[in-house]
Amino acid sequence: MVDKSILLDNKKFTVGIFDDSDKLLHAVKTLKEKGVKIFDCYTPFPVHHLDHALGYHRTNLTIGAFLCGMLGCLSGFTLAYYMNVVDWPMIIGGKPQDISVFTSFIPVMFELTILFTAFGMVIMFFARSRMIHGIKEDLLSRRQTDDHMVLAIDNDENQAISNDDILTLLKKEGAIEVNNSKEAFNTSLTSEEELAKLSKKPKAPTKAKTSTKKPKKK
Amino acid sequence: MYTADIRQPLVTGGKTYSDVTKDVCRPIENKPTPSWWLGFSIAVLLLLLLAGTLAWTVWEGIGTWNVNKSVMWGWDITNFVFWVGIGHAGTLISAILLLFRQKWRMAINRSAEAMTIFAVFCAAIFPLFHMGRVWLGYWPLPLPNAFGSLWVNFNSPLLWDVFAISTYLSVSLVFWYLGLIPDIATVRDRATTKARKFWYGFFAMGWNGSAKSWGRYEVVALILAGISTPLVLSVHTIVSMDFATSVIPGWHTTIFPPYFVAGAIFSGFGMVLTLLLIARYVMNYEDYITSEHLEAMTKVILLTGSIVGLAYITEFVIAAYSGYEYEQYAFANRMFGPYAWAYWTMMFCNLMAPQVFWSKWARTTPWFIFIISIIVNIGMWFERFVIIVTSLHRDFLPSSWVMYHATWVEVGIFLGTFGLFFTCFFMFAKFLPVINMAEVKTIIKDKE
Repeated sequence: MVDKSILLDNKKFTVGIFDDSDKLLHAVKTLKEKGVKIFDCYTPFPVHHLDHALGYHRTNLTIGAFLCGMLGCLSGFTLAYYMNVVDWPMIIGGKPQDISVFTSFIPVMFELTILFTAFGMVIMFFARSRMIHGIKEDLLSRRQTDDHMVLAIDNDENQAISNDDILTLLKKEGAIEVNNSKEAFNTSLTSEEELAKLSKKPKAPTKAKTSTKKPKKK
Repeated sequence: MYTADIRQPLVTGGKTYSDVTKDVCRPIENKPTPSWWLGFSIAVLLLLLLAGTLAWTVWEGIGTWNVNKSVMWGWDITNFVFWVGIGHAGTLISAILLLFRQKWRMAINRSAEAMTIFAVFCAAIFPLFHMGRVWLGYWPLPLPNAFGSLWVNFNSPLLWDVFAISTYLSVSLVFWYLGLIPDIATVRDRATTKARKFWYGFFAMGWNGSAKSWGRYEVVALILAGISTPLVLSVHTIVSMDFATSVIPGWHTTIFPPYFVAGAIFSGFGMVLTLLLIARYVMNYEDYITSEHLEAMTKVILLTGSIVGLAYITEFVIAAYSGYEYEQYAFANRMFGPYAWAYWTMMFCNLMAPQVFWSKWARTTPWFIFIISIIVNIGMWFERFVIIVTSLHRDFLPSSWVMYHATWVEVGIFLGTFGLFFTCFFMFAKFLPVINMAEVKTIIKDKE
């Protein structure tokens, strides 16, 4: 599989792990107020207002989707008009076969509008989020897709504030675990021993284990 | 948002985030249960029946069916409309209920969408094989061909159907897959075997749940829901136009589009209830698919059943009032002709039976809902049979009046599509999360 490694590779993170979305949201707001630059948050489910709190803008994918839809609509019309009017008009029962039968092109135009919008938008979404089949994921905690929420701060971006202050802040905000030199790891590269351990104990690894995660292979 | 105190929680049993993950991943991470094997084996046997009867149809020809002049559309198109109709609930639940912010959809949308996709597979079999030469099944596509510039006819509702159903299938697949990605990632990160790690890793597309991705993801899901809503309404509208744009008495009716759409939602919810009541019982998902969910779905059944019933009566009144004797005869023939038994079965199953859901007891008693859901499925099959066969079997010329009965091949293909449907569904229940974990985790503290 191909490495994703564009966003998280070769970075050291200060992370706070939360088990409650409200606490995470509050922590993000507090850290922002104190001038800490937050790299990103990783949550198992969409946390409302989190993107707003992090200062992200609403995505422009909708504009792309609209353009794709227009293209689909035009394609539908072109297809029907070219085939049935320009190239080979099929005269059935002496009825006209020109632009006056436009209404019977509408279903095809409509369906192609939807088709192009859906596929265009989803493909753009995957491209924008750097997602493709077979890519390796970068995780900061194995449970970030299960029940833990990760608040990640890039150490290089926050030289002004001391790392200990950030850790204290995170703890004060209710983080159940903090770590100031976290590297991204990849579950598909988990070692054989860890697999064996996991299969004995199907429960996801606990706090103690996360610090012994195998560093990412280069 | 204010929520009244009488509202019930959406997820019962005091589940935590981790409980949701464990409960939903249980069937994927453990060996299948004996009941799964039993159901799966029966489904595969029926699938073999489908393969056999279809092979026989192709080998021997379409003459193995009893469709002929007068009744040129029989069980095949009945089954086609039946399956397409069932395929409407999934997108309805995930798209329209998302736009209406109905949170109870979240526990059931995944399986309903899966059902949609499998039902459309089943539906596609019928028109393809009805063409007779299935290897020429690409002919309805607008492709350059060897017959001069003879293109497909864009004035024909049958061609619109090709576009509508293929668009519906592909957009539903995309919608379903997009919803699955975060959950596939959850399975990937819990995986303890190499194969599971590889395959779920492959399909999770590197999802790591970053806030940036979630932001985009939610917008994409909302827009997909927005465009799927008119799409789902358009599909059965166009299917109804296959009939409504003809000149056959009984088909040539302007109320067909809304009537068919309501019927599709009705039958779709009937099938969703049938499947979910089994899944909920077998997989112990009573805490996720609560009696509140069942009640909400039975209310939809009651509403759409009543709309369908109203359409039956309207159709009849319009025929009586039209002063057009062929139309009047078509309806008199439905009610009192040789297929009256089918008509009254339909009336009982679709109009009368769902009225029991006015009672709270009926709406919240799983075994009773299960029986009614089966009745609804039967009724909606008969609706299509009545519309198609009774309108055709006595046409304008009494010398060409016939009676139509299906052959064993036609019956076999129909039963066989249940095999295909349930084989797909059992595989889905084994390999993919049946409940949308990411969405359910957002509502475990919420009320209905």
